[in-house]
Amino acid sequence: MTDKVNILVIDDEPIVGKRLKPALEKSGYNVDVCETGSEALERIHNKSYDIVVTDVRMDEVDGMEVLSRVTEKSPKTKVIIITGYATIEIAREAIAKGAFDFIAKPFKPNELREIIQKAIDALEEESN
Amino acid sequence: MLDPENTSSENNTAHADDFEYRAQKALKERPRFSIRTRLLLGFLLFFVLNAAAEITSIITLHRLDNKTRFLVVADRYTNEIQQARRYEKNFLLYKSNLQFVFDHVNTAESLMETSSRELEVVLGPKNLETLRAHLNRYKELIQRLDDLHQKGRSASSPETDKIEDELREHGSQMISFAFQLSEKERKTVASMFKYAQFVPFIFLLILLVLVFYTVNFLTKQIHRPLGRLMVLTERIGEGDLTPIMPARKYRDEFTNVNLALNHMMHELKRRQEQMIESHKLRAIGTLTAGIAHELNNPLNNITLTAALLEEDYKDLSDKERLDMVRDLLKEAERSEKIVKNLLDFARESEIKTEHLEIPNLVSETLAIAQNQIKLKGVTVNASFPENLPFIHGDRQQLIQVFLNIILNAVDAMDKGGKLRIWAEYYKSPDYITLLFKDNGHGIPHHVLPSIFDPFYTTKSTGKGTGLGLSVSLGIIEEHGGEISVESEIDRGTTFSIRLPIAKIPAELR
Repeated sequence: MTDKVNILVIDDEPIVGKRLKPALEKSGYNVDVCETGSEALERIHNKSYDIVVTDVRMDEVDGMEVLSRVTEKSPKTKVIIITGYATIEIAREAIAKGAFDFIAKPFKPNELREIIQKAIDALEEESN
Repeated sequence: MLDPENTSSENNTAHADDFEYRAQKALKERPRFSIRTRLLLGFLLFFVLNAAAEITSIITLHRLDNKTRFLVVADRYTNEIQQARRYEKNFLLYKSNLQFVFDHVNTAESLMETSSRELEVVLGPKNLETLRAHLNRYKELIQRLDDLHQKGRSASSPETDKIEDELREHGSQMISFAFQLSEKERKTVASMFKYAQFVPFIFLLILLVLVFYTVNFLTKQIHRPLGRLMVLTERIGEGDLTPIMPARKYRDEFTNVNLALNHMMHELKRRQEQMIESHKLRAIGTLTAGIAHELNNPLNNITLTAALLEEDYKDLSDKERLDMVRDLLKEAERSEKIVKNLLDFARESEIKTEHLEIPNLVSETLAIAQNQIKLKGVTVNASFPENLPFIHGDRQQLIQVFLNIILNAVDAMDKGGKLRIWAEYYKSPDYITLLFKDNGHGIPHHVLPSIFDPFYTTKSTGKGTGLGLSVSLGIIEEHGGEISVESEIDRGTTFSIRLPIAKIPAELR
């Protein structure tokens, strides 16, 4: 993988995008940020992302819908689900629907970086 | 601000307890006059009256006995005198023996002496003396006549004539006197007989009146408190647990029932408060899950921001650092707000009535339930006409009712569901109707009649106590209102709460 990894972060909490964007860019990724599910669907339509990090609970279009649209459009994209509250049900449902992994709020930037790194490893493995 | 409120609500409870205490004391303080005593007195009165009747008739009989004895004596006496006079006449006409006159006069005299006491009782000492004087004089005159006769004086001498005149006078007087007396006594006896016949009727009449009165009195004494008890049980059934105050001057067996009822109502009130409180705790439990959920957002923002502030501290500009610190503060405040509404709701539990505005109550309730509403992804639309009148009631309890209905509605709806809350005000009668209409799953027709029953629940074990609506109904009824429900499967449910408006003008605030 020579190009920079493209990541889309979706969370209706503005601070999440505001903080994660510089933090992940510092780690060497290309980061786009949006605050609603519908905006995210538009972006996915126009650009292909390697990794999508999405909050699960959002008004109108929620994380599950984003997940299904992403897997539909580009099956190789890794989706990481952010849950407000870690429950087995949500994790099981997300994994069943094709999510790569999930992370529960509150989390530290490094925890997300680790999961993103795992996703990149998986992507590289698949392309080899 | 909180302290004076707490103190006043404590005063309110203290006042209520005091009222209960005073009711119990007032019931106990009355002089005791039991139904047993009253019955005893009633029967004692019967006994006294009967005894009086008996004694009266005994006395009457005794007197009648005396009178008849007197009449017998008087008759025999009159008879003797009459006999004496007959012999006296024979003597005067045929000069027969005077000895027979003596015999009869003596018999009359001994009769008078042996029955002198009876005679004295009836005649009186003066009359008896007169009678005796007449008899003595008569005897004396006969004696003299006899003496003259013995001496051989001829009849119709002036001396004899004079004695004869006197004899005639005394004899007729004695007889007429005796006749008069026995006539008088006969009349008395006759009237006494009449009286003796009449008296039982009078007593019977008095007894009859007394029986009626006693029955009436006792019925009232038992019937009236029983009637009051019936009204009371209805009142208790409707949820009015005001203690009973004494209505009569005396304590009796019913007082004990009233005391027991007051105690029961006190216990019921306590249980009801406990039930409301325990259900409130349950609601708090439900809400806490939503809060835990919601708190994760600001916590996450704080964690991310703080972690990155630490990571890049040296590379960040002052402006960036300031922005991050401000975010931290803002998110901390947000966390505080999320918890605060629930804490307010959880803290106050003393019953305190005041003038309240429905729109304020609803928005306070929505603030408490907002996390749950957000979590479920439903929207709530509350709109009220302006200048709705005040209602009078307990803020915490009414919020509990609204919260319960809102949480039920949220539970019954899927993501994207809509709950509409509005109020209608009708001038006559003075009620505000508050409506909660959701477009959720609806309540099955066969379940509708049971939803206000205690411990009825359609939720799985551990998710609902089945007390929510029963407690809500209790609270609304205590506020003088009503709850009703309409529901259609898959179309939604509408709860209506009717509450009376406050009659007293709102206090100045």
